[in-house]
Amino acid sequence: MFLTNLCLKNYRNYKSAELQFENKVNIILGENAQGKTNVMEAIYVLAMAKSHRTSNDKDLICWEEEYAKIEGRAIKRKGPLSLELIISKKGKKARSNHIEQPKLSQYVGNINVVMFAPEDLNLVKGSPQIRRRFIDMEIGQVSPVYMHDLSQYQKILQQRNHYLKLLQSNRHNDETMLEVLTDQLIELAAKITLKRYQFLDLLQKWAEPIHYEISRGLETLEIKYRPSIDVSEDVELSRIIEAYNEKFAKIKDREIDRGTTLVGPHRDDLAFDVNGKDVQTFGSQGQQRTTALSLKLAEIELIFSEIGDYPILLLDDVLSELDDFRQTHLLNTIQGKVQTFVTTTSIDGIEHEVIKEADIYKVVSGQIAKV
Amino acid sequence: MHYPEPISKLIDSFMKLPGIGPKTAVRLAFFVLNMKEDTVLDFAKALVNAKRNLTYCSSCGHITDRDPCYICEDERRDRTTICVVQDPKDVIAMEKMKEYNGLYHVLHGAISPMDGIGPEDIKIPELLKRLQDDTVQEVILATNPNIEGEATAMYISRLLKPTGIKITRIAHGLPVGGDLEYADEVTLSKALEGRREL
Repeated sequence: MFLTNLCLKNYRNYKSAELQFENKVNIILGENAQGKTNVMEAIYVLAMAKSHRTSNDKDLICWEEEYAKIEGRAIKRKGPLSLELIISKKGKKARSNHIEQPKLSQYVGNINVVMFAPEDLNLVKGSPQIRRRFIDMEIGQVSPVYMHDLSQYQKILQQRNHYLKLLQSNRHNDETMLEVLTDQLIELAAKITLKRYQFLDLLQKWAEPIHYEISRGLETLEIKYRPSIDVSEDVELSRIIEAYNEKFAKIKDREIDRGTTLVGPHRDDLAFDVNGKDVQTFGSQGQQRTTALSLKLAEIELIFSEIGDYPILLLDDVLSELDDFRQTHLLNTIQGKVQTFVTTTSIDGIEHEVIKEADIYKVVSGQIAKV
Repeated sequence: MHYPEPISKLIDSFMKLPGIGPKTAVRLAFFVLNMKEDTVLDFAKALVNAKRNLTYCSSCGHITDRDPCYICEDERRDRTTICVVQDPKDVIAMEKMKEYNGLYHVLHGAISPMDGIGPEDIKIPELLKRLQDDTVQEVILATNPNIEGEATAMYISRLLKPTGIKITRIAHGLPVGGDLEYADEVTLSKALEGRREL
């Protein structure tokens, strides 16, 4: 897919901006704190209806304004598409091809983006929450049902935690209700777990050869899903449900004691092994970076294989973080097929032809123009 | 904006109704000023009467002006089936269908620990009482197809399991007469899950 137009109104530090993109690779150049990342964020928000930086939508609205608006036009394999997202203090309104979408979950996924920002280098090293967010964002882009299951899961989890708190403080002693909530939770937990298994299996298939190449044939990457249940070899829904049932039965007293739900997809984690060793504990900085990069590149291929169209790649300030070899590998991968937006403070020192052929947009304090 | 007190009180009252914001409230208040006095009096009386004369049926919990309500009283209705719903409005929706001939039980809510609503806070104990004699042979659970409604249905079905009464849950999926292409993904996936053999 290819983004041809982007129009911002009252978005962060942009009062008003209109951009046209003709080239595959677009470089957004500017000093620090001028609004480079805001452009990337806007494209991301246009695709995902939420920001990768903040969960508070009000932050996206320009200071002292009532609403922010992002409009975009894109060309997909299936045809042209126009998108519009209005963010106000009351909420968000989304239109695709001028038709209002009452559910944001139906709007998300109209265009697909893959964002690679400095934070993503923490994907390997950071907290499990970052890794769960990564899985959810990626599966969500290709599966609206997953998004729905996940939000239902969160609601039941809240209900269950509340009830466990009541049991903990002895204000209730009706365990039938706990059983009901547990059953409800397991039904969705199993669906989510299964989807994660399947997704990570696919991601592994794409990431392994990419990683092998970036590490110049020295490293084999293995992605390991760590759910809170044990499901051996063949993974199927009924087995997962059974495993959750056993687990929840075992820990019931402890859960009441602690007043919170102790197992489930909200506690899942991922581990990355390079040559059989856990990168998180034993890997070098460089290996952790390579792993993050392999995952992102694998994601591009995975989205292509799932929906038949390459996603838009957003590289926010990461080129400078990668060494020459990894840079070259990244740019070779995207060359000619993936529309890419790159932010950077300077393009000196990057010799790759992709950069030389790119269009350059210069950002100075909330104003952006093609050079 | 400063209004004379009677008007501002009226505006405030209108704003207590659902779906009415400040602008609509002002419009309604000024409309009332131009209405005939008789009409206004009738209106006020209707409001008070609705509140005073309506009660909940002591048997099923439906709103009614006499106890028991017209449904519970009706001898021709099938007393072996009870349809459990969340709200009096649901009874009216079911009645519109004119296909169901059993009785109802209105729960007045759904279980939601988060909002402090437990099983004993809705009319579940009353339901159990109604099922004590052997007249009822089937309980249809028609709570809403969302998390709370589903939890309530599951809870009731567990409580009733030992009694041996037949327990059924209404189906969910595609709306009848609609086009497949207009259904959202989640509804479609639910409909697919609940597919049946022909």
